[in-house]
Amino acid sequence: MSTRSSRRTRTAATLAAFAAGVVALAAGWPAGAGSDLPKPKRIVSLNLCIDQILLDLVPSERIGGVSFLAADPSMSLVAEEAKALPSVRGSAEEILALDPDLVLAGEYTTAATVDLLRRLGQRVEIVPMATSFAQIRDVVLLMGQLTGEEQRAQTLITDFDTRLAEVKARAVVRSQAPRPRAVAMQVNSLASGEGSLINEVLGEAGFDNVARYAKLGPAGRLPLETLISDPPEVIVRANDASDFRTVLGDNLRHPAFRALEATRPSIHIPMNEWLCGTPRIVRAVERLAVAREALHFRAEAPQ
Amino acid sequence: MNAMRLAALLGCAALAALLLSLFTGVDGFTVAGSAEARRMILLEVRLPRALLGFMVGGTLGLAGAVLQGYLRNPLAEPGILGISGGAALGAVIAIHSGLAQVVALALPLAGLTGAALATLALTVLAGRGTGSVTLILAGVAVSSLAAALTSLALNLAPNPFAASEMLYWLMGSLTDRSLTHVWLAAPLMAIGCLLLASTARDLDALSLGEAAAQNLGVDPTRLRWVVVSGTALAVGAATAVCGAISFVGLMVPHLLRPLTSGEPGQLLLPSFLGGAALVLLADVALRILSPMGDLRLGVLTALIGAPFFLWLVLSRRTELAP
Repeated sequence: MSTRSSRRTRTAATLAAFAAGVVALAAGWPAGAGSDLPKPKRIVSLNLCIDQILLDLVPSERIGGVSFLAADPSMSLVAEEAKALPSVRGSAEEILALDPDLVLAGEYTTAATVDLLRRLGQRVEIVPMATSFAQIRDVVLLMGQLTGEEQRAQTLITDFDTRLAEVKARAVVRSQAPRPRAVAMQVNSLASGEGSLINEVLGEAGFDNVARYAKLGPAGRLPLETLISDPPEVIVRANDASDFRTVLGDNLRHPAFRALEATRPSIHIPMNEWLCGTPRIVRAVERLAVAREALHFRAEAPQ
Repeated sequence: MNAMRLAALLGCAALAALLLSLFTGVDGFTVAGSAEARRMILLEVRLPRALLGFMVGGTLGLAGAVLQGYLRNPLAEPGILGISGGAALGAVIAIHSGLAQVVALALPLAGLTGAALATLALTVLAGRGTGSVTLILAGVAVSSLAAALTSLALNLAPNPFAASEMLYWLMGSLTDRSLTHVWLAAPLMAIGCLLLASTARDLDALSLGEAAAQNLGVDPTRLRWVVVSGTALAVGAATAVCGAISFVGLMVPHLLRPLTSGEPGQLLLPSFLGGAALVLLADVALRILSPMGDLRLGVLTALIGAPFFLWLVLSRRTELAP
């Protein structure tokens, strides 16, 4: 009972602080002026997606450690920076050894670890995973508030929005031409549908995601047979089978998939660009918009 | 029932299941799309699936019948004994070391090496004719070790999909297999099956007892190597291309034994055909139950096979008691 009420109090405090941060930003106050807390100086992050936002938000001198996945270039866009930092696999012991003053955990960080760290007096904050562009803005604002970098957070969001607006302003994305149908194929026949970041990336770049018609959710599967019987105009390869030595990539190596890919434009967006809900996902949108433009002009060009 | 008539009947059933598998799609019994799309779906997607279902099912049924006859143990089966697990370990090592990318044949060869090591370990741990309990416990040890090593190999490899891949190898699947997989596995599986089938006469002799078998000219050392290498080739290559599919080798010989004369040798061909029909039908049912391919074939065979195994243990409780 006491745990629950203390958690509720903590949530309320976070919300209040969050609101104060937003007010501070709206009023144009200098960073950190809104909160009395000193800026955390040894922040440890336990989640790949939080790592990437953190490294963009906070100077690395103030980061005590990031998750071990952050150094994997197939998943992380900040692998080089992450390699220079201590890495954690998520056990309470190694986190304590880094002597953090703020631990940022993801929603999927084990509750046992979080509870143990809190019982030992650590400040642990849970940062939600963004699964939409709107949530990306919220998460960056929240992390800016938690790390005392509200102004930097606002800059990241403004930059994100500006680049998205530039994509939207491209003539081809604005035009009334029908949107090409596309699908983003991943290993294990996964094709992200409604409620996924990839769905939003495709939409912002002016494509029509066919996984939505197949009523697929964020991690739905599109059987090879369905893909072949009604193929979309564009295939976006969201994983490269050669990146991973896994039997689950066999759907991308399948001769029938290869044959289909050979007959239509195929665009590759690397997994590290779309895996996490961070402002950097705009890079994938830009990449697809450029490809969309090339397709459009190829179609317009006199035969 | 007459042996020839049983084999003909099961052959027809397996062939019908093969055709049914070819005509089962994601949206029921149709092929959608343009002429080119339909050709591609039938030849490149469904044909490899049906052929592999036939070969893998047949291999597992045959291997189960031979192992039950050779070990004179009603509970012997490649999946339960950890032979499939050993093959999966070999395949995982071939894929994650990058060897399978350099030489495609490394995949089935690694599978058969794993299966051979598991079979050898079993024959050492629990020799032929030992009690059922000893054999099954040895199988539990071998499959646990193989699963642990597979998990270790997947965790050591830089692979974000380790957890889902583990599931693939434990609970096999025929989804998205291509003709490449058929060509890779078929020759090794064929040699393995021929070796296994060649033991028919020796198994019959063995059912009279070891001494009688030797009097009838059975060479125990040779027979042992034929069984080990045949199982390793057939089950190893099958598992390397579609993961471990358990309980087929257990159920099929048991279901067919009452229909034969009872001699182990008579059971081999029916078990091959029956295994092929069972796996193909299970794969058809799978596509109807779960068109998106979320459910795995190994899950379905285990759902049918595990209760069967339990029933078998219970019905033979007195026999199995030490």
